[in-house]
Amino acid sequence: MTATALTTPPAPRGERFPVTRATLRQLALQRRVWVGGGILLVILLLAVFAPWVAPHDPLEQDLLHMLTPPMWAAGGSGEFPLGTDGLGRCVLSRAIYGARVALTVAIEAALGSMLLGSTLALLGGYFGGLVDRAISYLVDLWMSFPPVVLSLILLVGLGTGVDKVILAVVLVDWTRFCRVIRADVLVIRRRDYVLAARLIGFTHLRTMLREVLPAVVPLMITLFSIEMGVAIIVEATLSFIGLSVPPEITTWGQMLADARNDMQSAAWVMLTPVLCIIVTVLGCNLFGDGVRVALDPRLRLRGE
Amino acid sequence: MFQIISAIVLRRLLLAIPTLLLLSLVVFVVLRMLPVDPLAMLLPASATAADAAALRQQLGFDKPIPQQFLIWLWKAVNGNLGSSINFRQPVVQLMLAAVPATLELTLTGLLLALVISVPGGVLAFVLHQRRHEAAADLIVALMQSIPSFLWSLLLILAFGVFWPVLPFSGRVGDGVTLPDITGFALVDLLLVGRFEAWLSAVSHLLLPALALALGFAPLVIRVLRSSLIDAANEPYVEVARLRGLSETRILWRHMLKNASLPTITMIGVQFGFLFGGALLVEMIFGFPGVGNLMVQAVKGNDLPLIQGIALIFCVLMLVITVIVDVLYAVLNPRLRTL
Repeated sequence: MTATALTTPPAPRGERFPVTRATLRQLALQRRVWVGGGILLVILLLAVFAPWVAPHDPLEQDLLHMLTPPMWAAGGSGEFPLGTDGLGRCVLSRAIYGARVALTVAIEAALGSMLLGSTLALLGGYFGGLVDRAISYLVDLWMSFPPVVLSLILLVGLGTGVDKVILAVVLVDWTRFCRVIRADVLVIRRRDYVLAARLIGFTHLRTMLREVLPAVVPLMITLFSIEMGVAIIVEATLSFIGLSVPPEITTWGQMLADARNDMQSAAWVMLTPVLCIIVTVLGCNLFGDGVRVALDPRLRLRGE
Repeated sequence: MFQIISAIVLRRLLLAIPTLLLLSLVVFVVLRMLPVDPLAMLLPASATAADAAALRQQLGFDKPIPQQFLIWLWKAVNGNLGSSINFRQPVVQLMLAAVPATLELTLTGLLLALVISVPGGVLAFVLHQRRHEAAADLIVALMQSIPSFLWSLLLILAFGVFWPVLPFSGRVGDGVTLPDITGFALVDLLLVGRFEAWLSAVSHLLLPALALALGFAPLVIRVLRSSLIDAANEPYVEVARLRGLSETRILWRHMLKNASLPTITMIGVQFGFLFGGALLVEMIFGFPGVGNLMVQAVKGNDLPLIQGIALIFCVLMLVITVIVDVLYAVLNPRLRTL
């Protein structure tokens, strides 16, 4: 290798940066990306425009119309498309407003755990040695605990509220990112182009951010998407127990808890939030799976 | 064989000691950050500040946190986890009643999950080989989006409300008392020969265990399917084919055996998922296990109980890890000659 070869950038721009036209085409070919992304987009729009879309205020109690069936069933009315709950609140409006909390928690918690987990993964995987051992031990320690139990304990210490739930999810789920990404970083840092970057005098920080990080971005997107689904389930779980948010904020988990009282007489009140959670989580999982397959040629070759 | 197993167990136990210590410390510190006073519920409304201080002193909450932790640790080593604030009972006693119930639920759930996911995983693999994977993928993705606690509610709606055939509250029917031998209702009732009560216990266990199983099954199906896809390219499959074995026999007798190893590892790693799922499932079905106790303890800020349950969960997870390691060594001939 000559001196001029060493001074050229380690790899052509298009190869090094993960989002090229070819990968975008691969993404577009994945039906899962479209379906999952479509579901998430619709729910995001509903959440953002909730005050304009929802027919009623989610907290407005109409005690003359308690447990009204949905509009297509006998006794239902167009005023309450999905009926009302035991306090005469519009189920559809509550479901739409519930999407706000669900998506807030999903996006912020996934972002937080991605940042924390990936940073530690990069540091551990890149530097190896003692740093790596310490971080890996921490991950093992964290994972020797059932995640739900850990988040419950954290919530006892932190107190309740949407921001506390987000913090609890971040503090529990960063390990998901850290474990998987660290394994990839371990492989990538041995690649020639990383060595080349060091040889032409890149600092550790610059090598990490410019050479190693882009290679794990596809994996991070996949994990982010799946983590959004996990966060939605955790939030629903916690607000179902009654630990997540005060009653004046509407969440799907809270709707489930309220609906349990009227389960015998009004199943639709419960089915609506159940379906909301399932569909949203499905959207996250499909999108994540699609991205993973589209950006990983090994999986494509296996015909997944 | 015995030597290898005891070596694994010994190594795991030694590694477990620092883990348990550290985790207990983390939980202890987190719980002491509590924004509300856990003692508020113990005191009558007329209590004075002096009464509160006396109670704090009596329960040891006035000492500095490191000292409190050492006191707790010393007692814990001696088998005393303190008393629950809300239940006014020793934590160990509450645990002894709740742990067998949770184990009964999670193990039945695991069994049902395997009954669902072994054929499910094989089916997903076969569909994949025949290029019909789209439908199977969608079903697995859908199943993966339904956590156990939603399955619980759906199963109650289906088999408790619309078609009321199964009970969905408690561990046995009203008026049935459980004998106290092992704490496992299904075992105890058989031991004393009360078959009617046994059937009642089984019917009460069915829905919660199924909810747990349905939440766990998609994870197993996915691992099994991708392990089978990997196994399909292994030389031994071709050799078996050349020997003239039928495809069914190759799949069920040879490939499945090899695919079981990653599956067992995954089950061990994800056992926390089962315990976590059991938490909500127990709460919803009013099943008197550790998870139910945990939810009540968390709602009531019952610090000694939460701390005790956290420790129990750690110990249970460690035991699972040991069992998985041993199973792995037994099943994998490559590990037998250490």
